[in-house]
Amino acid sequence: MSREVQAVIMLLFGSATLRITLGDTYLNYVKPSMQPWLIASAVVLILLGVLLLLDSFRRRKVADVDGHGHDANHGPKAAWFMLLPVLTIFLVAPPALGAYTAARDTTNAIPTNAELLPLPDGDPVEIYVSDYINRAVWYEGATLDGRTVRIVGFATPNPEGGWWLARLSLACCAADAFAGKIQVVNPPVGWENPPANTWVELTGRWIPGGGTESDLAIPLVEAEQIEQIPQPTNPYD
Amino acid sequence: MTTTTKKRWRPGALEYLAGGLLLLLVAQRYLIDVFDVPSIQAGSTIFVAIMIQALPFLIFGVLISGAITAFVPASFWQRILPKNKALAVPVAGCAGLVLPGCECASVPVAGSLMNRGVAPSAALAFLLSAPAINPIVLISTFVAFQGEPQMVVARFLASLGAAIIMGWLWLKFGNNRWLKIPEREHLIGDTKWQTFRLTATHDFLHAGGFLVIGAMAAAALNVGIPGEWMRTIAENPVFAILGMAALAILLSICSEADAFIAASFTEFSLTAKLTFMVVGPMVDLKLISMQAGIFSKKFAARFAPTTAVVAIIMSVLVGWWLLT
Repeated sequence: MSREVQAVIMLLFGSATLRITLGDTYLNYVKPSMQPWLIASAVVLILLGVLLLLDSFRRRKVADVDGHGHDANHGPKAAWFMLLPVLTIFLVAPPALGAYTAARDTTNAIPTNAELLPLPDGDPVEIYVSDYINRAVWYEGATLDGRTVRIVGFATPNPEGGWWLARLSLACCAADAFAGKIQVVNPPVGWENPPANTWVELTGRWIPGGGTESDLAIPLVEAEQIEQIPQPTNPYD
Repeated sequence: MTTTTKKRWRPGALEYLAGGLLLLLVAQRYLIDVFDVPSIQAGSTIFVAIMIQALPFLIFGVLISGAITAFVPASFWQRILPKNKALAVPVAGCAGLVLPGCECASVPVAGSLMNRGVAPSAALAFLLSAPAINPIVLISTFVAFQGEPQMVVARFLASLGAAIIMGWLWLKFGNNRWLKIPEREHLIGDTKWQTFRLTATHDFLHAGGFLVIGAMAAAALNVGIPGEWMRTIAENPVFAILGMAALAILLSICSEADAFIAASFTEFSLTAKLTFMVVGPMVDLKLISMQAGIFSKKFAARFAPTTAVVAIIMSVLVGWWLLT
């Protein structure tokens, strides 16, 4: 592999990273806190790529590395594989994980160490899917009783009937996403079976049922009002 | 573009690249259709996620490996590491405490350490311990297991123990011919700064390429393993430990994040979770792929399974001692 190709791959990889990181696309894959590190990484890659190109233009002594026979074996032929993520990002731009992943996750786990804090004021009060599950399943709905909540999530059809309001959480990146699901009870007319991955804002109330103190329990929410919304900037909890 | 048409400048590589990219651009709409299947879509999201998450750590690793090659004289390692090779192993193992990187960083670093004359046994102990016991990993373990601080101690002891044992095993039974220690004279530049750049670039493309292969395998398995399997496996204590070890190898999660994943397997025993966290940073698909690429297939075929066995035994022993 010639220096020029190596340089081009570095530049492509750097610019693909920069492209998704300067917008919001990177949030489909990793947490917001990664942004500065990704930008720094992209800058390093682009810098190394540009300098390598300059090397080969200047025909330095090192630029004729391909003249060494052994380089064919030792040189990073594997570098060609680096084009795969670049192409995936530029050509396909994989979307955030959604209903497919949520439905596959058999547990309804909440992030570790969620403790019970009083529900903030407000009516309706905005609450995350994972927070709702924590309060409903692990504290038997104590703080939810009698309150109206507003939850953002995407529709995931429940194979056993009806649908879940779901949202995925990341421990680190999308490779370890875990799902939180709430069964929607008595949805308004027209919302009996929304298509998978429809993002909605649901206003409703907690009702008992679905089981407690188990990471298999899926709590219930009685829907009063459901509105379709665009996918949030950060699709994960 | 280049007039360096000396003897074996391979014409075409650049042109093939440009042509291929052009072709793909034209074919994009058909590609999108292929990717429109939910499982493939989820798989490709996970693939990109692993690459993006690993990127800063990989960059950090190759910058360190470049710096070691360019700026640290070989004599430095002879000075700080004990002459006695058996003694150098635990010292190198403990040195893992100070490099805050994940496993993707440590493969190129270990390669350049060997290249600078560090004994392979010591470099391998460092390779195994660095991603497992560095401060960031220990802190994230502490955060993930807030009710069980003994988990941090258990992880530290089991990982360091396994790394040192592997170093000694290599010293006793290893064959340095299995290691294709990277030759680098073509990366020596006119200046130290240029050597640094060339080494970092080379290591990034090399290790990164193998990271891609590992990330693809991990993404495929991530989408392919049915969730119900887990519950069945968790019920039997022996299967639970072996199952968590296998999962750590297949999922290839970054060591900085694996504690959160381990903690989320609520139905598994503490020892099984410990096994997941000890095996994962030392043996997993992306690491095996990177080791095979950078050191040699022969090396990876022997080193990875042995490491897995040693790591499981250490986890069970330490778990039995501290976690029951």
